[in-house]
Amino acid sequence: MRKVAIVGQKQINAADVGKSRERMLFELCRDFYKEMGITRHDIDTFVLCSNDFYSGHTISNVFEDCPVGAYMKDETKVEADGVMAATYAFIRILSGLYDTAVVVASSQGGSVMRPYLQMDYSLNPTYDRQVDLLNEVNAAALQARAYMDEFGVSEEVLDKIAARNLRNAARNPYAFNGKTDVTPADVANSDVLYEPIKAMHCYPFTDGACVLLLAAEDRAKELTDAPVWIKGVGDLLETYYPERDVSRSKSVKSSAERAYKMAGISDPASELDLVEVSAKFSYQEPIICEALGLFPEGSAGDVADRGLADMDSAMPVSPSGGALGAYAFCAGGLVRIAECYRQLTGGAGDTQVADAHTALAHGQDGLFLQHNAVMVVSTEEG
Amino acid sequence: MRNVAIIGVGYTPVFVSKRKDVNIVEMMSESVDAAFRNTGLTPDDIDAVTFGNMQTFEGLNLPHLWASEHIRALDKPVLRVSTGGTVGMSVLQAAYYYVASGVYDVVMATSWEKQSEGDSQVGLAGIVLPEAIAMVQHGMDLFGIKGLGFGGGGSTGAASYQAMSYLHHSGASPEHIDKMAALERSNAVLNPYAHLRKKTTVEDIQATQMVAYPLRFGHTCPTTDGATTCIVASEDMVKKLTDGNVAWITGVGYAASDPCTANFLEGQITDPAEQMPAKIAVEKAYKQAGIKDPCKEIDMCELYNGFAHQSLMWLEKLGVCKEGEAHQMLDAGALEIDGEMPTNASGGVFSTNAIGSSAMNRPAECALQIMRKIEGEHQIPKKIRKALSHGWGGLFQYVAVMILADEPAKS
Amino acid sequence: MTFEMGPETRQVEAMWDVSTYNYRMDGTGIRLLTEGMKEKKLRGIRCGECGMVYMPGPSYCRKCFVDIDEVVEVKDTGTVMSYCVTMADVRGNPIEEFRISAMIQFDGADTWFVGTVTGVEWQDFKVGMRVKAVWVDEPAGSLSDIDRFEVITD
Repeated sequence: MRKVAIVGQKQINAADVGKSRERMLFELCRDFYKEMGITRHDIDTFVLCSNDFYSGHTISNVFEDCPVGAYMKDETKVEADGVMAATYAFIRILSGLYDTAVVVASSQGGSVMRPYLQMDYSLNPTYDRQVDLLNEVNAAALQARAYMDEFGVSEEVLDKIAARNLRNAARNPYAFNGKTDVTPADVANSDVLYEPIKAMHCYPFTDGACVLLLAAEDRAKELTDAPVWIKGVGDLLETYYPERDVSRSKSVKSSAERAYKMAGISDPASELDLVEVSAKFSYQEPIICEALGLFPEGSAGDVADRGLADMDSAMPVSPSGGALGAYAFCAGGLVRIAECYRQLTGGAGDTQVADAHTALAHGQDGLFLQHNAVMVVSTEEG
Repeated sequence: MRNVAIIGVGYTPVFVSKRKDVNIVEMMSESVDAAFRNTGLTPDDIDAVTFGNMQTFEGLNLPHLWASEHIRALDKPVLRVSTGGTVGMSVLQAAYYYVASGVYDVVMATSWEKQSEGDSQVGLAGIVLPEAIAMVQHGMDLFGIKGLGFGGGGSTGAASYQAMSYLHHSGASPEHIDKMAALERSNAVLNPYAHLRKKTTVEDIQATQMVAYPLRFGHTCPTTDGATTCIVASEDMVKKLTDGNVAWITGVGYAASDPCTANFLEGQITDPAEQMPAKIAVEKAYKQAGIKDPCKEIDMCELYNGFAHQSLMWLEKLGVCKEGEAHQMLDAGALEIDGEMPTNASGGVFSTNAIGSSAMNRPAECALQIMRKIEGEHQIPKKIRKALSHGWGGLFQYVAVMILADEPAKS
Repeated sequence: MTFEMGPETRQVEAMWDVSTYNYRMDGTGIRLLTEGMKEKKLRGIRCGECGMVYMPGPSYCRKCFVDIDEVVEVKDTGTVMSYCVTMADVRGNPIEEFRISAMIQFDGADTWFVGTVTGVEWQDFKVGMRVKAVWVDEPAGSLSDIDRFEVITD
């Protein structure tokens, strides 16, 4: 199998970028290609990642091709989380038909559309959408309660997780929702949306875009001195919610197992130096991390009390602030990969984790963590 | 790069205007189950699933989430690809890359559309939102102004410009469009999976209302409910799972132009019938497939023709014949099922258009022709060694190409 | 007690109340064009690298991938690149008065615009013909300031 590396990233996240999506993408890619010392003609294939519902028009990529430089180029669009788009770009390079690929994911949930409402449109239209009892936030509340009841976890733990992510985000210039010195008590005092979900447990509505450049071995070494190698990928689609135990995530576990196997990782807790997970609500972080095999099942209280997921711990979780710092649909997962890249190349600034060589990025789609995807990346070529 | 083959195809039992007897996910499962029946495989044999449609047409965001069981994708990796009219081929190309990469060995690609459960005209009109220039060009009242006159209705008006430009440059006459339409409608009669299956003559076509000259109502495609599934496998798995009668994917290509044009509206750098992405995509695919003289080497074509003139136009743009030759081939009978270059023996998109699956039906039909597993009467009599399939979409801007063959590519 | 499971699928009507979107769009090129039209002038944007003139202009060149802002004047005469003749309404019913719509490349622009052509029998209209914009008497700064096009005969 060929070796494929991430050789560069650029991202923008804001509550309102104040630009059209086309202009946002053009400026991001124009500056990125300049920084990478390439032109659009150096890119063999473009994998876009957006969604008709989030863009508000049919075939969301028709106005994205030119802004990312794909005019008269090979192009496709993934309509899922950015980790899936990056996985597909990785697979395209592995096929041997392409040496370089750009992945661009974007949406404008801060200024153009309403994220919770768009999630409603992914509900079963013959039942859930008609009955109108389920939405993204109360689904989160149901799942949070299931996890808390199953493992005896208190609401304070969710507040602590949120506070840590918001403090991390405050140190990340790419996150806009950071809150320096925020305490679990501050989180606890935020508005209750659906018990036990409070406003500060939730991802912020975000305008954002992220671009990654991927390259096969030879090209990667020409393009950068510090490539970050893609070592393993995995994703899994679970059943639509009714028939599964939502207090755990089978699909996170299985997708991680696939990726670990591909990457040759047998003990993730010791071999991974950090993870960046798409926990759109604070309760999701322990469910995801436990399924990734980083902490024992139901250990959220212990992890929070002892700071086991803190930036300076043995297993930093989302030092960027994760989805609580910024979460643009589609771009969210790609930003997690970009953050791993920044960490592994030593460019993470105030969020830098010491001695980081191997990391995992996670992305998700659907209610109750239905579709999950992970990517393991490393500085070791192997 | 590993060799990859289509080992089986599954269609919904029928492609019709309205499937009232099944809902969306039930319809998807029909084609998936047909693919399993036709290959003798079970869901356990499938490593990953690729999936797609035009989601705003039915008003369903990320429909694979709801459909996970129905497409037998439960607890499997699933990739949702969505690229407009080309989506069916994009989904199949994704399955191809999945297997070619070595990450997966057997992948199922499924695509569908149930146009009767949504409003396709609303879906189509929604393409131009919210791009200012495109909206103006489409005559939308944006800055409190009335746009300049935009001919015809919906996408027929847009295609009319393309048809006229094609006629002007090729020397073909409007009667050639009538003739091509009658030929494909007649082919569709032979295909049990075609939608419009009524024996149609040139005179029947000419009796239909002219919508936007040079295109008549009889030159346009229907809206259809239907789904298509293909299963692709690596060379090793072909040996394990099949009797060797498969169709090898030997070349793939895809290219994007700018929106509202593909050389069509704003930013028309070339002619509306120029279709530069077609040339870019097909040249790449020919090169990969080792095809040097497509005019001689290609044995049949399945082309994406929402409108009847497009079959002729694509033959030229895809290098299957020289510019200006397609209508002469039509007159000489070369495009008929028993001709030299059978074109859209299935009846084409022009006779059956479940949009999501339309661009997958093209390579699926090529594969079935190569495997000689065509159900119905449209099996091409001559042996098919190399077949060209094509998809088209976006705002006149995307072209997808896949070349299928009876033998794997030589490494 | 058991319930007899059998095939039963119903069609139900449901409203898809599509969300309200607050679209953001880049109207710079349109504004440039419509402001000029107040003075019966057509203005496009030229790419400094490839020389392509877009009208209405995007803010960057799609081929060269660079920002563009050089304003150029475009003539109100042009060449017919393609056309169609509307003979039915959107529902397919025949209409009395046929309408010629042409894709016109204005002299000095590389992009095309759609407009209505009058004063010519549709059977006589051809690709390649030269046309001229007919302006309204009191232009207000909108695209409808060009009322129609007429064939240039000389």
